[in-house]
Amino acid sequence: MIATLEIALHLAVWLLLAPLLPGIINKIKAWVAGRRGPPVLQLYYDLARLWQKGVVLSTAVSPGHVAGPAVAWVALAGAALLLPVGQGGTLLSFRGDALLFVYLLALARFCIACAALDTGSAFEGMGVAREVSYAVLSEVALITALLALSVQSGSLSLGLMLTPSAGAGAALLAAGLFTVLLAENCRVPFDDPNTHLELTMIHEVMALDHSGPPLAVILHGAALKLLLFTVLLAEAVLPIGKLPPGWSVAVLAGAVLVVTVAVGFVESLLARFAFRRVPMLLTTAFLLCLFALLAAWKGGYG
Amino acid sequence: MTPGGLILIAAVALLAGFAAARSFPRWWLAATLTAALAALSASAWVLAGGETWDWRTEFLVGGEAVHLRLDAISAFFLALLSVIGGVCSVYACEYWPDKAHPCSAPSGRAWWLGLLGNMGLVLLSTNGLHFLLGWELYTVCAYFLITTERQKREVRKAGWLYLAASHAGTLCLFAFFALLAARTGGWELGPLRGRADLAPLFWLALAGFGLKAGMFPLHIWLPSAHANAPSHVSAILSGVTLKIGIYGLVRFSGWMEVPLAAGWTVVILGVVSAVLGVAFALGQHDLKRLLAYHSVENIGIILIGLGFALVATAQGNPAWGLLALAGGLLHVWNHGLFKALLFLGAGSVLHATGTREMSRLGGLWRAMPWTAGCFVLGAAAISGLPPLNGFVSEWLVFLGLFDAVAARGAMAWAAVPAAVLLGMTGALALACFVKVCGVVFLGLPRTPAAAAAHECGPLMRGPMLALGTLCVVIGLAPALVWPLVARAAVAWNPAWTGSPVPAPLITLGLCHVVLVGLALPAAVLLWRRVRANGFTRAVTWDCGYAAPTPRMQYTADSFAGIITGWFAWILRPQRHEHAPAGPFPPGASRTEHTPETVLEHVVEPTGSLVMAVSTAVRRLQHGRVQAYIFYLVVGLAGLAALVLAGGAR
Repeated sequence: MIATLEIALHLAVWLLLAPLLPGIINKIKAWVAGRRGPPVLQLYYDLARLWQKGVVLSTAVSPGHVAGPAVAWVALAGAALLLPVGQGGTLLSFRGDALLFVYLLALARFCIACAALDTGSAFEGMGVAREVSYAVLSEVALITALLALSVQSGSLSLGLMLTPSAGAGAALLAAGLFTVLLAENCRVPFDDPNTHLELTMIHEVMALDHSGPPLAVILHGAALKLLLFTVLLAEAVLPIGKLPPGWSVAVLAGAVLVVTVAVGFVESLLARFAFRRVPMLLTTAFLLCLFALLAAWKGGYG
Repeated sequence: MTPGGLILIAAVALLAGFAAARSFPRWWLAATLTAALAALSASAWVLAGGETWDWRTEFLVGGEAVHLRLDAISAFFLALLSVIGGVCSVYACEYWPDKAHPCSAPSGRAWWLGLLGNMGLVLLSTNGLHFLLGWELYTVCAYFLITTERQKREVRKAGWLYLAASHAGTLCLFAFFALLAARTGGWELGPLRGRADLAPLFWLALAGFGLKAGMFPLHIWLPSAHANAPSHVSAILSGVTLKIGIYGLVRFSGWMEVPLAAGWTVVILGVVSAVLGVAFALGQHDLKRLLAYHSVENIGIILIGLGFALVATAQGNPAWGLLALAGGLLHVWNHGLFKALLFLGAGSVLHATGTREMSRLGGLWRAMPWTAGCFVLGAAAISGLPPLNGFVSEWLVFLGLFDAVAARGAMAWAAVPAAVLLGMTGALALACFVKVCGVVFLGLPRTPAAAAAHECGPLMRGPMLALGTLCVVIGLAPALVWPLVARAAVAWNPAWTGSPVPAPLITLGLCHVVLVGLALPAAVLLWRRVRANGFTRAVTWDCGYAAPTPRMQYTADSFAGIITGWFAWILRPQRHEHAPAGPFPPGASRTEHTPETVLEHVVEPTGSLVMAVSTAVRRLQHGRVQAYIFYLVVGLAGLAALVLAGGAR
């Protein structure tokens, strides 16, 4: 009973905090550009509004158009439960849960992609093609990063893998995972969340025909995924699990804030890359993770 | 009832079915299902903990006494054969009925039973000669099933390629069994551990069985054969027949010593098959050809598991070897289930629309919701997504690989690339099946044929639902299947005796149950919310364009374009482009086709070279006696010169 309650509490924190991150990024971008920008809580208002709104469904869509975002959201929430928060560790931890984490993200991708293709729109076809193609490379980098962490900690469950710091290869791993974070969450330089041209979008174009509550679910899922990757990056690099309980949460929160601000700065200072350069950047991320793996190999158990 | 009795029932039922095949389809179906059920019960009996069934007779076939044995490994594959065989027989009744095919349907039923029975014989026989007999017979039966529509040119071509490739493989197996018999002094097969002199024979077995299993680069016959056979035949060819090749590898690598490099070679072949199989699949626009290439991919995953088990055996049986082998073996079942499901789904699409060309389909979910649902389920399973069975076996293989890396031995040099590329394979398969589901079942119909599609009847729907259910059950309760898989793994290597269900596997099953338990209510809840808020229907966002047509939807080739671009060095796509020109272009077209690279760039040039050399040599033989006498004289003179030169020394 207490375990169930604790899981529910964990999940509630994840779900409640997730929409904060895009707000912070937008605030940073506005600040760099010298604008006032939307409030930090803007996404919360948007979600509440969308949840109340009616829906316009394309005449082409199947029931999967609505079911897809729901299943994807559940998969992302499940992935969130697998990540440890601070020193307490995870409530749900077993050997090999790192792979379940990766494949839950893949499940979410499958559902969103099918829901987008459901409309029969060429724009959305293009967006989905980009999403699933680039995901191949970012998944390779992510698995390499997990291999590095597993070698470093001698374990295969996220709770133990993320407890120590990434050791000698921490900087490499941080750079690699940060690139994967940007790619998986469709941020600049891979995709521009603010673009207004359907032809150049990845994530936004996949939600082009969603409206009302399904769109709210997709937006919340995207924010949750951003938080997931931020926490993963922070915990992989810093020895958060080894700090005293109060400190670990504070350091984690600080690290998440730093990463979010960094995303904001990258987005303000960099332009979106041409699509043909995306594979090169992702291959670089893979190589960084691979070198982190070699460093962990040489470094011994941390 | 003992396995012996059950196998007897199965054999009698098969013979009865054979007799009924021509004119009594219903009796044929009843007999086939009885045989499948009996064989399934026998294998379940052995896998659930019963003893090995061993039946030795004095009855001679080809001068050798008949000797059958059903141990855990045979039972493991026999179970798959019975399930897929039974299910596809039901499907065939509606898919290939006598009414539509008065000539090929009755003969097809007979060949079908020949295929099933002889595959069963291969699994049971413990005599090299009988193994080869069964092997050859089922290969020939499969040839006649593949060429069911032999009035079509490409079907005949595919059939010939299959026959030629299969016999190249059989030739290796002839050499393998003959050398084995020569060195052991008899055709009787059995455990021969500790005989280092037999180890080099493994390479012959790898070539022969690997060709049957369709591993890269010996897969050349596979795509065209699986694409051109009727769909229930494709399902069993892909689901079971390929696995007979895997059975051979598992069987003989377990019984005999293998060379040191065997494990590494199998791993490398597995990784190459997995990645290139899915890359080739992405380039296809023919639905069944695409599925056939995915068989190459999945055989690769199975081989990765088997290869690491071989490496582990050579290194003192660490536990990760068991995980890899169990993952590989479980993937044998899983791939059989979901690939048969996908081929049956593709068959329903072909049945309803008359085309396998994906660019002519689209929006089929409206007309065929059951087929679409089952196909998407199979697609998620083959992409290795939780909570389905494909993820469970890939997860076990991954666990073995990660443990091998963590053990920091020499095998980590293979385990790191294997793990990374296995992950890549998963992501590529996901991309490929998103493409298939999107282009075939979602969106709007691209042609009138797709718009006029109809749902298949209960005899075709039932088998798909049954296979889909099995996929879900293995995904949700992997701990129940573990003992069966572990029993087969222990029969392969007794060093792993007494391995309980890994605790993480139970947790994984629980996670899957929870995932399903949350995802379904979430979807229902969201749908209720949409209904409560009210919804209106409108056209898909078209950027303000006034007259969008279904042909403007994204195509399969464009979808896969990014990834096929990365693999263009091996895929070598052929493009024919007729670009629009002038202010009022009269027409424009662009076609893209991914050929079978190994066949067209390696096998065919080699074949042409052999033919050219043979033709040149043939000029020597023209029927003029004078010239022949001249050859004799030249030959004798040459011999004399050789003798004189030798004598001088």
